Amino acid sequence: MLELKPMLSALWRNKISAMLIALQLALTLAIVSNASVIVQDRIEKMARPTGMPVEDLIAVTFQPIAQDYDMHGAVVADLDLLRSIPGVVDATHTNQIPVSGSGSASVFHSQPNQEIGGEVSNYYETGPHFMQTLGMNLVAGRNFTPADMRVVQPNEDARTQVAIITRQMADALYPDGDALGKSFYNSNGTDPVEIIGIVERHLGAWVSWSKAGNVIFFPRLQENNFKRYMVRAEPGRRDEVLKAVEKQLAERDPQRVMHIETLSERLERSYMSDNVMVKVLSAVVTLLTFIVALGIVGLTVFWINQRRKQIGVRRALGATRANISRYFLVENSLIAVTGLALGMAGAQIANHFMVSSYSQPALSLPVLLVCALILVSVSLVAALVPALRAANISPATATRSV
Amino acid sequence: MLKMHNIRKSYRTDTIETHALRDFNLEVKEGEFVSVTGPSGSGKTTFLNIAGMLETASGGQYLLDGEDVSGLNDRDRSRLRNEKIGFIFQGFNLIPDLNLFDNIDVPLRYRGFNAKERRRRIEKVLEQVGLSARAKHLPAQLSGGQQQRVAIARALAGEPRFLLADEPTGNLDSLMARQVMELLEFINEWGTTIVMVTHDPDLARRAHRNIQIVDGQVSDLQHAVAAAEAATA
Ligand SMILES: Nc1ncnc2c1ncn2[C@@H]1O[C@H](COP(=O)(O)OP(=O)(O)OP(=O)(O)O)[C@@H](O)[C@H]1O
Ligand SMILES: [Mg+2]
Repeated sequence: MLELKPMLSALWRNKISAMLIALQLALTLAIVSNASVIVQDRIEKMARPTGMPVEDLIAVTFQPIAQDYDMHGAVVADLDLLRSIPGVVDATHTNQIPVSGSGSASVFHSQPNQEIGGEVSNYYETGPHFMQTLGMNLVAGRNFTPADMRVVQPNEDARTQVAIITRQMADALYPDGDALGKSFYNSNGTDPVEIIGIVERHLGAWVSWSKAGNVIFFPRLQENNFKRYMVRAEPGRRDEVLKAVEKQLAERDPQRVMHIETLSERLERSYMSDNVMVKVLSAVVTLLTFIVALGIVGLTVFWINQRRKQIGVRRALGATRANISRYFLVENSLIAVTGLALGMAGAQIANHFMVSSYSQPALSLPVLLVCALILVSVSLVAALVPALRAANISPATATRSV
Repeated sequence: MLKMHNIRKSYRTDTIETHALRDFNLEVKEGEFVSVTGPSGSGKTTFLNIAGMLETASGGQYLLDGEDVSGLNDRDRSRLRNEKIGFIFQGFNLIPDLNLFDNIDVPLRYRGFNAKERRRRIEKVLEQVGLSARAKHLPAQLSGGQQQRVAIARALAGEPRFLLADEPTGNLDSLMARQVMELLEFINEWGTTIVMVTHDPDLARRAHRNIQIVDGQVSDLQHAVAAAEAATA
């Protein structure tokens, strides 16, 4: 038996405090739902497949001290050495470390002599071993052969005849899905680069880039003054392999500065700001929810204390304990539902602003509803303890207190 | 109607134990109008609370309509309170946020009557106490006497067999007090048993029987029994 009508008129006479709590709930919903979509977006972003066995990969960067250094010879010797270390699956040279936040990019076109348009892509200079080292899945065409490789001097024309690209890049250049065997060009370029292979996916150097996943691999080794290797260990042997790599590379050629780290560390660093965002927003959401719960506890306790006499009278007139508790829970739900209805509108308006001004993700109705549902539950739980305690007010309060 | 045998009630605070009622024996017959007097703190309200099941006795036996109510659970006590007993308080105890109609509606809703039946009863009792025109008023918009009449209407709406009043005229001037008393007498004539605590000897005398509570006991049982016999004769 719900006493909705008299309850509403009683609420109307206490509308200021009821409205304050409703508004607090509305504001909380607006903030919490918008924060939730951002958190959800960031969590999804961090959970994206990288296309690599990140846990098994080691990144090496080195710079020789000598000026006239035989880079090509060093790379061949280093890679031979690396591949001979027990526990190493494969190793490759590369110009950039995946997901590290630094790398190279350029604009490419499906037609020659284009100045505008085209598709931006992150690109690697690597070799036939990258496929196995990075654990990539070749979905069409073939891998590089040693014959495809070009070794170039810093000022030489670095263009290669062939390239392997990600499916995402293939679809961007050739939306009809027939990229294999076709060619692409540099801006204003006339020399074609043939697409000989397509890999399923690779995130590339920048995890937060809107075009992350646009990646091209060229079979190339530039003889510049630093070089990088990626080393893939057998599952579970990364740390052991890392120590061996460090030791043996240093022993083979001590005259260079070297930096070795795991790819997991790099990835974690690349996602640091996303991680911080998730943590801060989660803390804000928790705090706001806690504050609104406290407010509801406070108001419910206040109203119950204010109405002790009335509760006693109701009990004297035949209300059971359950009747009394239910009264306050229903009253609380009315306020919560009003506040959350307002909050839904507020959340949409706030989100509109967030999307247009800060390019944050759009708020979907399911997320909004789930947030509202959680806040209704929080509100009910917050009111539950005071409401149950109100049921303990003695019916004798009706005759005892003045 | 009401039978108390060796009822005992004590309150324990951390320092002292107060014996509000002890060896309390009383019988009230169907249709009686009993007034209860006695010095302040003698246990009158305690007696009324136990009679109305607002409190439970610490010991002894209480039969309401022949039913031993001491062992009932909260639900059953609440239901009995709702169906058999009407309360009138010194401070009126109307719910300030509800208008007169909704105030009288409170016990009827707990009773589970449908809206039509509740409306019928509310309109009837409002008419009985002469306040039909004010159904939509808030308690604060009425005089004390009018508020007490609404409280009586609220007590009557459930058609209880037993009306308990704790100093119903205590907050009223003598003219209004007399009006309320007349209303109670009228209700009693229609068959409702009334027990009324009062400090006013004139009003106490107008009841069929007056019992005095002194120090937690009925003081003049002889007189009370004689009066009871006179009343029922
Ligand atoms: N909740 C309680 N806790 C402790 N003592 C109580 C409590 N209620 C009543 N008493 C004590 O019980 C005794 C009887 O109180 P009761 O209210 O029944 O007196 P009363 O006859 O109604 O007095 P009055 O005429 O002033 O209303 C008093 O001594 C009172 O202090
Ligand atoms: Mg009293």
